[in-house]
Amino acid sequence: MSDVLAVLEQRDGVLRKVSHEVVTGSRRLADALGGEVHALVCAGGAVSGTEAAGRHGADKIITATNAGFAQYAPEGYARTIVERAQAGGYGAVVCAASAQGKDLAPRVAARLGCPLAADITDLGVDGGAVIVTRPVYAGKALLKVKVVAKPAVLSLRPNVFTPVERPKAGAAETSAVSGDGGRVVVKGIKAAAAGALDVAEAPIVVSGGRGLKEPANFKLLEELAQAFGGRAAVGASRAVVDAGWRPHGDQVGQTGKTVSPSLYIAVGISGAIQHLAGMRTAKVIVAINKDKDAPIFKIADYGVVGDLFEIVPQLTSEIRRLTSA
Amino acid sequence: MKIAVCIKRVADSETRVKIAADGKSLDEAGVKFIINPYDEFAVEEALRRKEQAGTGEVVVIACGSGTSQETIRTALAMGADRGVLLETATMSADGLVVARMLAAELKDGGYDLILFGKMAIDDYNHQVGPMTAELLGLPCVTCVAHLELAAGNGTAEREVEGGMEEVEFPLPAVLTVDKGLNEPRYPALKGIMAAKKKPLEVKPATLGAPGLEVLAMTPPPERKEGRIVGEGAAAIPALLKLLREEAKVL
Amino acid sequence: MIPSQYQPTLPLDQLILQKGAAGAGDSMELDVLFVGAGPAGLAGAIELARLAKADPAVGELNIGVLEKAEALGEHSLSGAAVNPIALRELFPDLSEQELPLRGRVEREAVYLLTSGSSVRLPTPPTMKNHGNYIASICEIVRWLGGKAEALGINVFTGFPAAALLKDGDRVAGVRTAATGLGRDGQPLASYAAPNDLTARVTALSEGTRGLLSQAWLQWQGVPSENPQIFALGVKEIWETKRPLDRVIHTMGWPLPSDAFGGTFCYPLAPNLVAIGIVVGLDYQNAALDIHVLLQRLKGHPLFRPHLEGGEMVEWGAKTIPEGGYYALPARRSGDGVVLLGDAAGFVDVPSLKGIHYAMHSGIYAARTIFNALKAGDTGAAALSHYDRLVNDSYIVRDLYRTRNMRLAFKDGFTAGGFKAGLMTLSGGRFPRGRIAMHADADAARREEAVASFTPDGKLTFSKVDGVFKSGNTTRDTIPTHLVVGAEVPAEVARFYSHVCPAGVYEEVDGRLRVNAPNCIDCKATDVLGPRWTPREGGSGPKYKQM
Repeated sequence: MSDVLAVLEQRDGVLRKVSHEVVTGSRRLADALGGEVHALVCAGGAVSGTEAAGRHGADKIITATNAGFAQYAPEGYARTIVERAQAGGYGAVVCAASAQGKDLAPRVAARLGCPLAADITDLGVDGGAVIVTRPVYAGKALLKVKVVAKPAVLSLRPNVFTPVERPKAGAAETSAVSGDGGRVVVKGIKAAAAGALDVAEAPIVVSGGRGLKEPANFKLLEELAQAFGGRAAVGASRAVVDAGWRPHGDQVGQTGKTVSPSLYIAVGISGAIQHLAGMRTAKVIVAINKDKDAPIFKIADYGVVGDLFEIVPQLTSEIRRLTSA
Repeated sequence: MKIAVCIKRVADSETRVKIAADGKSLDEAGVKFIINPYDEFAVEEALRRKEQAGTGEVVVIACGSGTSQETIRTALAMGADRGVLLETATMSADGLVVARMLAAELKDGGYDLILFGKMAIDDYNHQVGPMTAELLGLPCVTCVAHLELAAGNGTAEREVEGGMEEVEFPLPAVLTVDKGLNEPRYPALKGIMAAKKKPLEVKPATLGAPGLEVLAMTPPPERKEGRIVGEGAAAIPALLKLLREEAKVL
Repeated sequence: MIPSQYQPTLPLDQLILQKGAAGAGDSMELDVLFVGAGPAGLAGAIELARLAKADPAVGELNIGVLEKAEALGEHSLSGAAVNPIALRELFPDLSEQELPLRGRVEREAVYLLTSGSSVRLPTPPTMKNHGNYIASICEIVRWLGGKAEALGINVFTGFPAAALLKDGDRVAGVRTAATGLGRDGQPLASYAAPNDLTARVTALSEGTRGLLSQAWLQWQGVPSENPQIFALGVKEIWETKRPLDRVIHTMGWPLPSDAFGGTFCYPLAPNLVAIGIVVGLDYQNAALDIHVLLQRLKGHPLFRPHLEGGEMVEWGAKTIPEGGYYALPARRSGDGVVLLGDAAGFVDVPSLKGIHYAMHSGIYAARTIFNALKAGDTGAAALSHYDRLVNDSYIVRDLYRTRNMRLAFKDGFTAGGFKAGLMTLSGGRFPRGRIAMHADADAARREEAVASFTPDGKLTFSKVDGVFKSGNTTRDTIPTHLVVGAEVPAEVARFYSHVCPAGVYEEVDGRLRVNAPNCIDCKATDVLGPRWTPREGGSGPKYKQM
């Protein structure tokens, strides 16, 4: 029997959505291990939204405060988590494989002297050992891995562990952490375009390729993304990123980003293997392309053949009508 | 400036993944191996920093089988000064095991900067760089997409959800680099010739006991056969109905 | 319609530059440069390096091999049932198991097909593969490349040769293609200037329809009795559920009776099967599409049961020089230069072989070059010894024996089959003299309706699928490398769209559209229409087991 330490994320004092996924995954693990979920969030002060962690299955929610923790402080956060993990004798430490989690989890694992099973898409317990599944080779294979260490340090791929409500006590606790944030200091986050979601985290991704003909036409996709009410991000194929039409950060594909949104809409993308590799784990794929033989239709759940310049604006207005209803 | 770049030999991103007879690994028959693309950005950055400083050394370090010498030669052809291969029979699925080997090699090297790619495109572990930094007790910034260095410290930008995080750090440091930091150069003919004569030290190494045990490698579940909903804007109502009622994503 | 009327001329002013001409970045001096890392170039480089090691008279030789593919073998495609004679000569100490060959051909069968049935024919003597091996030319090239590098030869992959450097009438080396140009031809941040490589001897081992070989022959006015003619082969590799235990060749369906060609199906391993079709580019119907013919072929009862339920893992295409003896250039050597392998036309069509000739031509060239270097004279007279060695070898002997065999089919398959039979019986003595040929681009075409074809994505595939399975990841923003004629009527644009197996050409609203990044360097339209020139290194297909 052992407890699970769930590492939550906040930004500007607000709990991030990915934290619910971490609590959900941790709850599953704790139930299998027969223990409790203790959620830990490092912050500069009080964090709003932590009560939701109780709803998703945290028995206890600890806010670890320090003046240096308002922004992400890699070394201070890692130190705090490791101290807590060691003091609590946890069976597992669970982070998100978000931008922060990808930075933080390896530090925590190294300080604990434990391996890290990163970016996992499934987890379970067999004979007391944590067994995880993680995609490798850009999702072209899955690795089933047994974690032979305690605690098992895991990071969960965003958008895979759909938050499930499993109300637990959710007892709140605040503890002030001594020391500072460490040598690596985050000065702030330069926001991308207002409200823009990152393609790797957005639940809906609208991606464009060469079929858009020129960079200015990405406006059509931005409008479609906006129609989803802030839940969608705009991605791009390698071809258009290489052409300088879109920033590197938007690229979906093996040397770009691997995304697993609930809905992926590929517009004017023929579907090079490179691109397919980056989005094949999306739950539902929609393809809009004028060429009915385009490889993208082989992987798409739903395809619409035709002129994107006619289809996309109309889809946008239909979605807008749906979301405003 | 003395800079170390840790690189890895990986299966090309276009590889058609076939699972080996052991059911746990990639069947390497006919697979093309390349330098991990993110590590190419790291090599390029090291070369540019050395060129800007006008003096220094770029050392390329890899772990793996003897065939990784080819990968090191690629980096030497780009312009790195010398290479070190920590030769092991196999690679470990456990990034910490690799980080421990690298940390031991880097420890007394006197490096101002240690660079990694942000991740390898084979195992997607995303961890060896920051783990190595922790083992060395050095500050570390991951996924660096923009970098400025001054005497004794630096500023980096890393991509986070919805923006760029601005980070300050002291030197020496470990950085893992992202796409977009630079445009890696192609090895020049002269570089390829010169690379053959550059020192490449092969040191036998032993992998520690892994904390991750690979039980199986399997193909991803096959996607259900898709279907063409229709042609042109007339198909939109049917599409929306399917997304709402069948796929339940709207 | 006569294709040559719409074909631009070879841009000799861009293909042959004065040594030292402006525009190069780095330059490098070598002793001997092989242009193209195929069986010919690599065998030549290996033989030369060994000769130099065994005889210190010339000192250490600086030997380079240029290759346009990103990695060794990635632009190589062949059948292939290989005669191991040249591999044995080059590696006498290695056992058969150590050579880069798959299985020995134990069983073979030749069939005449109709759309629904097949009739087994006795295997023609010229097509017998007893003692030959199934092989992947990609694997042979990778293996030879490893041997070459171990001998200290510099193999530069990712560097296409774009122009010959001349010094008077002498070939002084080559200039490579620039890298990192934008669609408008302007340098990008990743730009790397062309390199000049000079050498005492330049061996052109470019393969089929070699660009610089064509340029040199034209520049020097080297004649041949017949123009060179070509076939296009389109090939797929399948992982199958049902094993194949024999080599199969077929004639007849799905080819129309006025086209010369056939198909092949070889087991690389019991459950790994290569299937392909080869068609001479002098066919008459402008709507004929060789990629589509291969797709139809797979549905034939002879093949379908083997392929069904399997997976197509690779696709590719390449031309083959088919002119044989009478199309050989009068000389394959000149001042500072020799032509090897497919670039010279050393292919025997009746036996469907060229790899061993290519390797042997490389070996003969190496011996000639070594003696020339030793004597300190690499002029035309000294290098003409290479022509003598080839002319006295089994290469020209074999090609002479079958000199009219392919040519007999210029009027169609039925008449051709009869004549070819007589030739085989008469050991090549029938008919007397030479059957004259015109170049493929001079053969008149007429557009005839063909049945439309829709791929099912399981057994049959579109050209886009094919390009995808060729591994082609050419940067989308490179400038177009294809030189198209000034005025291309709709009818000709449609013809190009059928000729090209990779969907590079499309006819859109009566106009020609060129999707240059699709190009997989097969050279088919270079034979019949738009000219091919090299683009940045590493572009094109990435064949693995072709």
